[in-house]
Amino acid sequence: MGSRCIVDTAESLETLMSRYQQADESAAAALVERVTPLLRRYFLLQASNRPHADDLLQDTWMRLHRARHTYRPEEPVLPWIFAIARYASLDHYRKVIRREARERQVEVLPEPAGQVGGGAEALDIDTMLTALPEAQREVILMLKISGMSIEEVARATSSSPGSVKQKAHRAYQKLREILKAKENRS
Amino acid sequence: MTPEDIGRRLEDAAQLAFPEGGAGDRAAAQRAEAAILGDLRPVNPMAPDWLHALILVLWFVAAAVDSASFLGMEGLRALGNGQAALIFAALLSAGWLGAVACARLMRPATGRNLGPTAWVLACSLVAVVFAILFHGYDTAHFVQDGIPCLRAGLFIATPTGLVIGLLLRRGLVLNWGAAGLAAGTVAGLAGLGMLELHCPNLKAVHVLVWHVAVVAVSGGLGFALGRMSGEFE
Repeated sequence: MGSRCIVDTAESLETLMSRYQQADESAAAALVERVTPLLRRYFLLQASNRPHADDLLQDTWMRLHRARHTYRPEEPVLPWIFAIARYASLDHYRKVIRREARERQVEVLPEPAGQVGGGAEALDIDTMLTALPEAQREVILMLKISGMSIEEVARATSSSPGSVKQKAHRAYQKLREILKAKENRS
Repeated sequence: MTPEDIGRRLEDAAQLAFPEGGAGDRAAAQRAEAAILGDLRPVNPMAPDWLHALILVLWFVAAAVDSASFLGMEGLRALGNGQAALIFAALLSAGWLGAVACARLMRPATGRNLGPTAWVLACSLVAVVFAILFHGYDTAHFVQDGIPCLRAGLFIATPTGLVIGLLLRRGLVLNWGAAGLAAGTVAGLAGLGMLELHCPNLKAVHVLVWHVAVVAVSGGLGFALGRMSGEFE
């Protein structure tokens, strides 16, 4: 059964995760509080996931909870969390594709209920992110929005640091062009 | 404009569109806490990857040796000492790579996916070793001699692969296709190992096609089965 101990707010995510594995309730709650905003933003910033961001987040936490024994204490925790989040998102995407294939005969599909905000401001970030291919967008989101290092992104995406650097470089080039064009227009 | 500037612009735009720490974040965190805190039990972290890899290599060696000792070691007797040393060193190296690939695929975020590399390298390495060691390219009884070897190899590979699949399920496999490919490769190497110990046919064309095919086919079957089981996860 879970036990409650005092949580130091400066404690690393790795320490919190280790204590969560030992069923420490306060560490689990602190980990959820610190990681949820990162994960939620990761889902919200992918336009295709936006209407289901909260469901995806809940699904990811359930997967993380079931698989918590697969985290090894000496390793960085964010890549482990994001690798699981990434597959939750991928599974969700596959389900949507399958559902859409079944419903193709319906001419007008109803708009999914928007669970989250993001009006005109979302368009600005969308303009930047939708210009990037999926793989580059994912790398940029993890690097710049979730604050992970190149090595951590490589772990989370099962690729090499060289490949991550290359994707990030190409994404920067494209984003630079978009931002310059925007500045010229204004 | 440096990458840092671009990052700052992205961060600002993201913060504007979806402010961090808002009511949505708090509500989502509360829901997640409620879901996981009700089922909080201590768990032991999984054993290190090298230990899982070692278990898999021991399993593949045991499967090959046990089945060959049951069927007869005529193949080993037909090989010279140098040939045997080179073949079994290649098999062990390829098996170790396949086992490491399996062990890494059991946990999220362990780095680059080695499944396809293990399959390609295993097939190529044993093919190169066979091409160097063996001669004889006449195709008399090519199919009649080959089919029983392929069948026997796959007969050993199948249960070996299924047991590896059970071990994989102890972790969290995110990419079942790659995990199936790696598991099929290790299982196929067990079948190939058995054939090298048992089959006395040392014609290059026979071993290059029918013996190597055990690893290639087993990897392919593992990939297909992995993809299918991934759909059910």
